[in-house]
Amino acid sequence: MFEKILIANRGEIALRIHRACREMGIRTVAVHSVADADAMHVRLADESVCIGPAPSRDSYLNMPAIISAATITGADAIHPGIGFLSENARFASMVEEHGFTFIGPAPDHLSLMGDKVQAKDAAVRFGIPVVPGSTGEVKDEADARAWGVKIGYPVLIKAAAGGGGKGMRVANDESELSQAWSMARSEAMKSFGNDAVYMEKYLSHPRHIEIQILADNHGNVVHLGERDCSLQRRHQKLVEEAPSPALNGEQRARIGEVATGAMRKMGYRSVGTIEFLFQDGEFYFIEMNTRLQVEHPVSEMITGIDLVREQIRVASGAPLAMVQSDIAFNGHAIECRINAENPETFAPSPGRVTEYHAPGGLGVRVDSALYGGYRVPPHYDSLIAKLIVHGRSRNECMMRLRRALEEMVINGIHTSIPVHRRIMNAPDFLNGDYDIRWLEKFVAGDQD
Amino acid sequence: MSKFDIDEALIRKLAKLLKETGLTEIEFETDDARIRVNAGGTGPAVVAATVLAAPAAAGSAAPAEGPAAGSVSSPMVGTAYLSPEPNAAAFVKVGDRVAKGQTVLIIEAMKVMNPIPAPHAGTVTEILVQDGQPVEFGEPLMVVA
Repeated sequence: MFEKILIANRGEIALRIHRACREMGIRTVAVHSVADADAMHVRLADESVCIGPAPSRDSYLNMPAIISAATITGADAIHPGIGFLSENARFASMVEEHGFTFIGPAPDHLSLMGDKVQAKDAAVRFGIPVVPGSTGEVKDEADARAWGVKIGYPVLIKAAAGGGGKGMRVANDESELSQAWSMARSEAMKSFGNDAVYMEKYLSHPRHIEIQILADNHGNVVHLGERDCSLQRRHQKLVEEAPSPALNGEQRARIGEVATGAMRKMGYRSVGTIEFLFQDGEFYFIEMNTRLQVEHPVSEMITGIDLVREQIRVASGAPLAMVQSDIAFNGHAIECRINAENPETFAPSPGRVTEYHAPGGLGVRVDSALYGGYRVPPHYDSLIAKLIVHGRSRNECMMRLRRALEEMVINGIHTSIPVHRRIMNAPDFLNGDYDIRWLEKFVAGDQD
Repeated sequence: MSKFDIDEALIRKLAKLLKETGLTEIEFETDDARIRVNAGGTGPAVVAATVLAAPAAAGSAAPAEGPAAGSVSSPMVGTAYLSPEPNAAAFVKVGDRVAKGQTVLIIEAMKVMNPIPAPHAGTVTEILVQDGQPVEFGEPLMVVA
């Protein structure tokens, strides 16, 4: 087992990793930028090393600085956390070349799943269902028409060089194809300077369902069930829950087996999450995140398994301590991501937290690095706290979450707490009746 | 908080060190306990905590004064060496005059030796690190007045 782990991250996730290490008797090294010198995990860690000025590029993305810090502190392993370098294959290789253990998957798997086209191909190879689509670029309208028939309407024509929802047009049936085709191409040319397009089946009301995977270095793989992360604004998740109100037991077991089977074939190790769009009883692979995820606590609450601890254990070479039949799902959990942002405009709101009071009580968990007097720096993402609540049923969980949100105090800056309070009172949410477009409409005031 | 035997001699020693060196704060830690002595305001204040206690409350230690004018801060994480090779003479010693850009020490990071230049011409008044000492970004290395 490792004696000392360097935490190459910041904020609440760095604190999360520190906590798991300390509970295992492992010493921690907190690397931080100048702006994070007063961060909670830096104060709690056994050692800290300032690695650069505030900008991420010069600090949390600064590979030589992080590796030097591991060298001078004599760390055994580096935990990359979430975001930053956690899915950077070059960093993972560098870490290993320098004799440290990278707490995460093999560099090859980071590369494979990092390339979205390769990832989709790999998914097909490993038996994971994908969104039906064209094999590569669609060159002309006749071709598009043929693909339309093959894929089945409605279809989405997407810019190959695209992103951010631009250069995408829906054709609901064949009569709309011509216009959608030319508009998608000209939009793609205008936005990306490249009119190459491909096609996919358009899902009009999907949910985002993801499966949490845990694998050791010996070929053992388990899943910890699904999380429903459909509540998103501009592709950023705001609320996550497990189990999904939309899945039944048969669907859960089926997708769980598909996921673990694929991971076994792939030879994957560490934690990972396979993300799907789910509509009309069918799952469609979108991508795989080869790292810990922000919303991992939701799965921890319903299974009682400490995912960071397990991640560290398997990285040290230990075999999984459980098989699939040992994993039981108890009750229901919901996580609210609390961001330092204006609840109406969503503009970031960094600054000094004058008062902080976390809610408590049975089944209430707060993962946050906040404290009274802490200054939320402007240089990084706006997530400042995760409120995760567990109940024996979804109803009990929601009542408890509503109560916990009433108690939570973060003064001095704007936060998204008011948005969460509104969501918790929305009939659609209470009924579990939402898809990936619901939240955008809700905050725009179309629904209540 | 668990019981903690006050080591009076240690506290006096730390307080004396504070006064003599003009530092604002000294923190001393062993496996069993951690003690911080802070020269806030009129005289040294003592904040003692075992390692079980939560981190210091807001507003505790006065931050160390900003680096002295002419401070040379480390631009990177690594190990500081005061001479070009083991057993060779040090690049500079206290009292030496240096030109702008003259190498005053090296920092080794990932097996690469990085020469650290004097940011301006002047006299070396203080060398704040020892040979082979690990340094972090922004750590004051020397003072060139």
